[in-house]
Amino acid sequence: MKPVKSVTVVDDPQIHEDQYVHAVYDQIASHFSSTRYKPWPIIAKFLSDLPTGWIGLDSGAGNGKYLPLPADRPGCILTIGLDRSRNLLQIAQHAGSEPGRLITREVVWGDVLGSGWRSGVFDYAISIATIHHLASHGRRKLAVQRLLQAVSPVHGRVLIYVWAIEQDELSKRSIPTSDTDGSNPHPTGEDVFVPWVMSRQHKQDTPVVPTLVAETPVYNRYYHMFANGELKQLAVQAAEEFGLVIGPRGSVYDEGCRGIEIVQEGWERSNYYVELRRWVS
Amino acid sequence: MVRLITHNLLACHVKGCTTNNFPLVFQDVQVELQEAEFNPDFIRNMLSRLEWTALVNAAKQVGDTSLPLEQPDMMDDELLQKLHHALMEIHVIEGAMVCQNCKHVYPISNGIPNMLLAEHEIG
Repeated sequence: MKPVKSVTVVDDPQIHEDQYVHAVYDQIASHFSSTRYKPWPIIAKFLSDLPTGWIGLDSGAGNGKYLPLPADRPGCILTIGLDRSRNLLQIAQHAGSEPGRLITREVVWGDVLGSGWRSGVFDYAISIATIHHLASHGRRKLAVQRLLQAVSPVHGRVLIYVWAIEQDELSKRSIPTSDTDGSNPHPTGEDVFVPWVMSRQHKQDTPVVPTLVAETPVYNRYYHMFANGELKQLAVQAAEEFGLVIGPRGSVYDEGCRGIEIVQEGWERSNYYVELRRWVS
Repeated sequence: MVRLITHNLLACHVKGCTTNNFPLVFQDVQVELQEAEFNPDFIRNMLSRLEWTALVNAAKQVGDTSLPLEQPDMMDDELLQKLHHALMEIHVIEGAMVCQNCKHVYPISNGIPNMLLAEHEIG
């Protein structure tokens, strides 16, 4: 079992993320990427169901494993990958390439809290295992609002995945226990450091912030592990403050009313997910 | 990579820069052509997301003058081919994109555009 340590964010959240997220991913990019190749089923299905000609944003694309999808209709949609780690983007840039057949993906170096897009220009946005790296509730909420802002007000679809406190039995990690039985009406999750143990063949020359353990660098990555119900609550709060009505599209609303429907939510393989769909009445 | 399809979606997001912040203007670009598989349905369906005039001007900035100034009503195969080439096969490898309004420069290096802002520029 890899130990996961509770941590309290005492710095400015941005400085905390710079040290315990951005710097770490740039260091571990190649090793990390070699362990992240299998798409999760619900995300693969989400992308596979999108109509031909749709354009989307993968906010926190990492090594770009979702950029080539759907596997059965490659090139029918275009997903643009955004990430904060330039080293991961260099891998994402050629995600899905095979020997002798180099494929170039669209990738952009940027922050998930930025908004360097025309508003509403995307048909869909996904943010997989990304928002849990933001070190305050306000920043996580802003990240959700950036996704809502990026997609079409008429039909935009959004899928978000974050790490759950509730881990499945196959997980390699043990989680510190706290008030996580789901009975809390205002679930707040848990701030933790998750160690990344660098394998020798991926060791780099100039590591930053490692703790040396038997000559193997260990990098602490910051996560906010979500409690049961917290992701949905975050999405609802973000949407409401963004001026959207929560609920299915219906005739009860005035013409031009903007809203968002929660299409599905759940837990899959130690993660919580929520899918949202924007609508205008 | 910065292909014209991506360029057509990007806008300046410096704090307070909310008008005339699209399209960004290419500057000192190095371009590479890479063949891509032609998918006419993708091009036809995707087109309504794009700003035509911005696309035509951006294509000129990277050396492609094949697109008509006005968006034609009819999308014939020849035009879809031209659009495919302009949108999917021209890669800007080096250079920059500059905001016409606030003059912020977004550098492009190794095919990756840098849309990060300094802390004081974030809105």
